[in-house]
Amino acid sequence: MVSLRGGTPPARSPWRGGGWLATGIGLLLLFPLSSPDAFFLDVFTTGFLLAAFAASWDVVGGVSGQITLGHALPFGAAAYSCALLTSFAGWPLPLAVAAAVLLAAVVGAGIGALSAPLAGPFVALLTLALGEIAHEVAVGHTFFSGPGGYAWGGEGGIPVALPWRDASPFSSYYAALVFLCLATFGMLLFARSNSGLILRAVAGSPITAQASGVPIARFKRLAFTVGSAFAGAAGAGFVLHVGRATATDLSLELSFQAATFAAVGGRGTIVGPAVAAIVLHVLFQGLSLPPSARVLLYALTLLVTLRFFPRGIAT
Amino acid sequence: MSAEGITKSFGATKVLSGIALSVAPGEPVGLFGPNGSGKTTLVNILSGLLLPDAGTVRFDGKEITRLPLDARYRLGIARTFQIPHPYPALSVREAVRVALVPRLATRAVNAGKRKDGGGTREDEEGPTEDLLARTGLFNQRFVPCAQLSQGCLRRLEFARALACRPKLLILDEVLSALSAADEGDLMELLRAANRDEGTAFLLVSHNPPLLKSLCRRILVLEEGRIVRERTV
Repeated sequence: MVSLRGGTPPARSPWRGGGWLATGIGLLLLFPLSSPDAFFLDVFTTGFLLAAFAASWDVVGGVSGQITLGHALPFGAAAYSCALLTSFAGWPLPLAVAAAVLLAAVVGAGIGALSAPLAGPFVALLTLALGEIAHEVAVGHTFFSGPGGYAWGGEGGIPVALPWRDASPFSSYYAALVFLCLATFGMLLFARSNSGLILRAVAGSPITAQASGVPIARFKRLAFTVGSAFAGAAGAGFVLHVGRATATDLSLELSFQAATFAAVGGRGTIVGPAVAAIVLHVLFQGLSLPPSARVLLYALTLLVTLRFFPRGIAT
Repeated sequence: MSAEGITKSFGATKVLSGIALSVAPGEPVGLFGPNGSGKTTLVNILSGLLLPDAGTVRFDGKEITRLPLDARYRLGIARTFQIPHPYPALSVREAVRVALVPRLATRAVNAGKRKDGGGTREDEEGPTEDLLARTGLFNQRFVPCAQLSQGCLRRLEFARALACRPKLLILDEVLSALSAADEGDLMELLRAANRDEGTAFLLVSHNPPLLKSLCRRILVLEEGRIVRERTV
C-alpha cells in the first residue's frame, strides 16, 4: 500500500482548557469570601443552575445536532413534579427530586421518539410546539385550579415544600456550584464516550452513520433522554432555589436562552455553553434591566455571535 | 445474497422492472450500465436504503427486504457511496471508530463482557489502527474528514465498509474519478479482501476493463432490466 504524504496534526486533547476552567472554578469558590451582596450571590446561584441547563441543551442540540426549542419542557416538568410531589403528595424531598429527574428523562425519551424520524428545522418546530403546549397548560388556570387556596398554575405557580426554612445564600451558592461541576463533568463524560462519538457522527452525516451500522433513531432518543435528565436535574435544583414552580419554567424564553448560551459558548463543547450562561446571566441580571430588555439583549447577543463567531466564541 | 422480482418506480417513472440477481459467498460480481439505467437505485435497495415496490431480498437464507441499512451492516452487508458523505467534525480515526463500535459492542455483549452495548477503547485500538494502515490512512488519522481529498475519502469509505468484516461489499462507483495511485491501491485492497477474507462484492462501475480485471461475473443493466450476464 502506498503511504500517503501529508502533515500529521497533533491530536487535540479533549480536556484542553482545563487550566482555565480550574482557575474559573477556584475564583467562583473564593467569590463568597469577598462578602458580596446577597443579591449577587442569588444571581450567581441562578446562573449556575442555568449553566447546567445550557450544558444539557448542548447534549441534544450541540453534540447530537438536534436543535431543540422545547428544552424548557423537561426542565419545567421536573420543577412542577418536584413541587407537586412535596407539597401535595407529601413525598420526602430526595425521593421527589429523583422522581422529577426520572420524569424529565421519560419526557426526553418521548420527545426523542417523536423527533427521531425528523431532521433539521422540523425537530426545532416539533420541540417548539411541544414546549408551547406544556407552557400553555401550565399557564391555564382551568387545568391547574385546585383546592387549598393555592394559586395553582398560572404565573403564581406551585410552592415546593422544603425541609429547611431559610437556606443561607452561601449554602445555596455552594450547593449550586457543586451541582454544576458534577453535572457538567457527567455530561462531558457522556460526550467523550462511544455514545457521544456516535452522536457527533449522526449529527455530521446521518446516512454515513447508518451505513456504519448505527441505529440512528435509537441514538437520537438517547441524546434527548440524557440531555433531558440533566435538564430535569437543573429544573429540580432551580425549584429548590426559588421555592416554587411557575409557568416560566416551561417558557420558550428559557429554551431560547439555553440555545443562545450554546451558540455563544460553542455548540458541542458542553463547557462553553455553561460558561456563556454564567457570564451572560450575571452580566444581564446584574444590570437590573426589565425582563423585556433582557430578552432583547439575548437576541442581540445571538445575532452578533452568529454573524462574527458562527461556531461560538469558545471555538 | 439473492434478489428476486425487484421493482421500483418513482412517481410515473419505472426505474427497475423485475430484477433478479444473486451473489454467491466470496464471489466478485460487477454491475455495468449506462447513466439512468437504475444501478444506484438497485444498490440502494440491496443495501437497505430504499424499499422496493415489489420483490424480495434474501441474505444467508433469511429475507431482509425490509431490514434497514444499519441492520444489514451489522449482518455483514456493507456499502460505499458514489459521493462520500464525511463527518465534518470527526477525524479520520474517529470516523473509523464509529464503524467499529457496533461490531465490537455486539461482540462484547455476546461475550458477556458488557451488558450495555458499549465496547472499551482498548478493544477498539487494534482494529482501528489496522484498518487505517490497510487503507493507507494512518498518516492522516488526525486530519478532520472535511479536509480529505477525494482519494482519501474513498479510502475512508473502504475503511468504514471493511470495519464490520463484511461478507458482502456493495461498492457504488467507488473507483471512479481517482488518481492512478489511489485506484491501484483500492483495487489491491478489494482483491485482498476477496482473496484473504472471502468477501464477496458487487462492484458498480462504468469502466468495463476495470470490471473485467476484478470480477468473475458481470451483469449488464439497461432501462431497469438485467439484459446480459457475462462470465469473465
